[in-house]
Amino acid sequence: MEKILKVEKIQKYYGNKDNITKALDQISFDVDEGEFIGIMGASGSGKTTLLNCISTIDNVSSGHIYLGNQDITEIKEADIAKFRRENLGFIFQDFNLLDTLTMEENIALILTINKIPEKEIDTKIKDIAKKLGIENILNKYPYQVSGGQKQRTAACRAIVNSPKIILADEPTGSLDSKSAKQLLEIMEDMNKNMKATILMVTHDTFTASYCSKILFLKDGKIFNKIEKGEKQRKDFYNEILDVLALLGGDARDVR
Amino acid sequence: MLGKLSIRNAKRQAKDYIIYFITVIISVALIFSFNSIAVSEDIKELSSVMENFSKSITGISIIVVLTIAWLINYTMKFMLEKRSKEFGTYEILGIEKKDISKMFTLENIIIGIIAFIIGVFFGIFLYQVLTLIIMNLFNQPYEIKITFSIMAVGMTAIYFFGIFLIVLLNCRRKIRKTKVYNLLYADKQNENNVIKNPKGNILIFIISIILIVCAVLINHKEFTDISDFTGRNMFIAITMLILGIYLFYISISSFIVKRYLDNKSRKYKKDNMFLYRNLTSKINTMSVTMGTIAFMFTIILIGGNVALLLNNMLNNEIEMGYPFEIMMSIPENDFSKYKEYINQNVKVKDMYEYRLYNVYNTNVRKALDDTVFEERCYDDIDKVMMFSDYNKLREMLGYEKVHLKDDEIIIQTLKTAEAAFKNYTNKNDKIKIADIEFKIKEIRTENLSQINFNGYTYIIIVPDNLIDIVKKQDSKIISKDTDNNSITNVEQDNEENNTKIGYFDFGYKLVVTTYETTDEKFYEELSELIEKKEIPMTSEVRGEDQQFNIQYPLGEVYTRGYRIGQVKSMYAIISFLAFYVALIFVMATATLLAIQQLNDSEKYKYRYELLKKLGMDELQMNRIILKQLFFYFALPMLLPFVVCIPVILSVGSIFTIAVTMKEIITNICIIYGLFVLVYGIYFIATDVQFTRNIEEIG
Repeated sequence: MEKILKVEKIQKYYGNKDNITKALDQISFDVDEGEFIGIMGASGSGKTTLLNCISTIDNVSSGHIYLGNQDITEIKEADIAKFRRENLGFIFQDFNLLDTLTMEENIALILTINKIPEKEIDTKIKDIAKKLGIENILNKYPYQVSGGQKQRTAACRAIVNSPKIILADEPTGSLDSKSAKQLLEIMEDMNKNMKATILMVTHDTFTASYCSKILFLKDGKIFNKIEKGEKQRKDFYNEILDVLALLGGDARDVR
Repeated sequence: MLGKLSIRNAKRQAKDYIIYFITVIISVALIFSFNSIAVSEDIKELSSVMENFSKSITGISIIVVLTIAWLINYTMKFMLEKRSKEFGTYEILGIEKKDISKMFTLENIIIGIIAFIIGVFFGIFLYQVLTLIIMNLFNQPYEIKITFSIMAVGMTAIYFFGIFLIVLLNCRRKIRKTKVYNLLYADKQNENNVIKNPKGNILIFIISIILIVCAVLINHKEFTDISDFTGRNMFIAITMLILGIYLFYISISSFIVKRYLDNKSRKYKKDNMFLYRNLTSKINTMSVTMGTIAFMFTIILIGGNVALLLNNMLNNEIEMGYPFEIMMSIPENDFSKYKEYINQNVKVKDMYEYRLYNVYNTNVRKALDDTVFEERCYDDIDKVMMFSDYNKLREMLGYEKVHLKDDEIIIQTLKTAEAAFKNYTNKNDKIKIADIEFKIKEIRTENLSQINFNGYTYIIIVPDNLIDIVKKQDSKIISKDTDNNSITNVEQDNEENNTKIGYFDFGYKLVVTTYETTDEKFYEELSELIEKKEIPMTSEVRGEDQQFNIQYPLGEVYTRGYRIGQVKSMYAIISFLAFYVALIFVMATATLLAIQQLNDSEKYKYRYELLKKLGMDELQMNRIILKQLFFYFALPMLLPFVVCIPVILSVGSIFTIAVTMKEIITNICIIYGLFVLVYGIYFIATDVQFTRNIEEIG
């Protein structure tokens, strides 16, 4: 397996000399091609900061991040936009769809930004929409459909351009449990059948149980790492719960 | 409690309210200052013509009030839309709709009253500045004094609060009728196209084009055939034009948008999809706004051109018609009492008496067939001037001497009629006077008063040795009537010839050049010296013939100084009103676009933020912004720029007596150029500000 993402000893500090908060503290890990990796942790553990650094929205204070062979911490400001549109796909918690565009056009947007020839755009969308089961809402506007449908469209938009990695930030955060399950099955499908590499940040155990590998963050450090392997999802779910119980606090914190 | 909430909210939204507030203040200041001028005694006293000025200002106020009503309506609706989420939240919290609309009314009335007071205050200063400009135009001293006309305040209050209340009631109705859901999610919804059916759209487009073309044609007919001019037809043309403009913009915006969005390969090309969807999301507001702006631009362009045309005409009339300071015509050769008065009252430089004669059937007038000058000259009688007189007049005005052989004549005409004569002489350079053939040596166009003093439109210059023949011809036309003090009523004498030369022939002329200009008093006193003749007239009144006498002066006086004074007043009125209307319209459109931009750049911020996250680079984004703004700015300009040219040319045709075609075209270029300049500056400023707003993202 080729390593698609390599994170090497990255640190991220906030604040001034006298009062430094280490949001990320010497974090290193790898993501293989075709992996579905989850990052878990409580609020303030640094998981969103980590995602922002990988997605080039934020800069690291030290360390390196390699996507493929490219060091993204060294990309010039002027080239960031190009890098982002060619290599990354995003799924946001609040969907981030444009109200003025139909679902179809929202998906097409990323393709037009990437200057894909007009003729290919339509077939690409039709193809992906069929796979993800949203072809019947393609002509609707965002305010006419449910949250689950919006997020499925967003997933569609994330993968349509075949990015090196899809970054998902709490994708089920705004969804009910049924829609969440549907979305996760779609993401699992994208991962297994379309060979998409996905990095997902979540604090929801059920959501995380769909991943193949999970990193647990606490206070900016990697606290634990578990892999699903050949386990059933139910077992993996219980395993995650166990780690979270451990992560919840040391025995000496409880008095 | 609600009052407190409302004031606190107004404070918090001060930034948004500021544009609204300033709009209202400027509106009040403008209405007030112009009302003050309309009732100002200082201005009325300036000249007798200024009476009309005050009247036309009051008349034009209607246009202004409508414009400002539109502007306030737009701004208030904008504020309502901005706060719809807030009002929705109140409603969810259980506040009654009645109370919410009461709160909105209260807020607006407070703002309205404060703005009115500040507006009147600014209006007082604006009025002083405007009065100073007018006074300067008339070379009158004026001391700034703070005057305050209760009448003007009253009129302003009626206009302003009238508009304000109507708009406010409209908004209240809107608040009461809107559902909570729509209040909360107002900013997420896109407007639906009024006309969904593309065929209907094309039909409307065609109708709009037909309407506009018809309006232009009716207008053309009205102005080229000025004798049939009726207000009713003009009204129809204007209504058709307005309707046409609106329909055009309603259909064209959905037309363009459809063109780009219905065809997928066109839609997905470059930034088209994002751009045109941004536009469609507000398609109804946009097309109506564009129609209104285009209509205003049409008025600005036509009005500006007419103002320049009138200005040209007035100036040209003075240059062409009044080359001498004093010009007189009388029917008999005795200028002694006039000369005495002139010598006593003005420093004379040079003075000359001469006589013009009439000749028959030269056919020269045919050169002016089918031109605006056709109606201005007699069918078969031409005025002639002796060559030596001609050279003397030229000498007085500083033109070089000309030479003439015995078998040649010169046609001296207005520069505006030069082309028509050149055309004529190209085909035929011979004319016959009393059966003797002459060669037309040249057409000259120096300013020698051919408007109605030395001939009507043109005069024929003949060699001096022709004098006896000319005199003989002249006496054939003008028979001496001893009963009438040798004054001839030519119309009666020539009934069998069917010639219409008017009532009298004032063949004896006196021209004077002076070292100083003359004034209104000089003109009036000189005119008083002319004898009057009682002429019995018969006129049919309610089916009965009634006899009465009219006083007819036996002679004419023209003085340059007096005419310039009159022209200045007219010029002041025209340019002032044009300036006034243009100012109001420019202000209205500029404020409107500013509000729209402020609103949009905030709304668009989210959209552009997403584009940035998805990886669109800055260059691409700036290009989209530029395109979007260009669409907004260029489209409303398109139709007025095309439509105004034929309209201005038709209107201009009635001015061609004193204004050349070259001048008309220059005017169009000047007005269009100025417009593009101002508009361009505004466009660039908006683009810069818009881009800056978007760049504030993360």
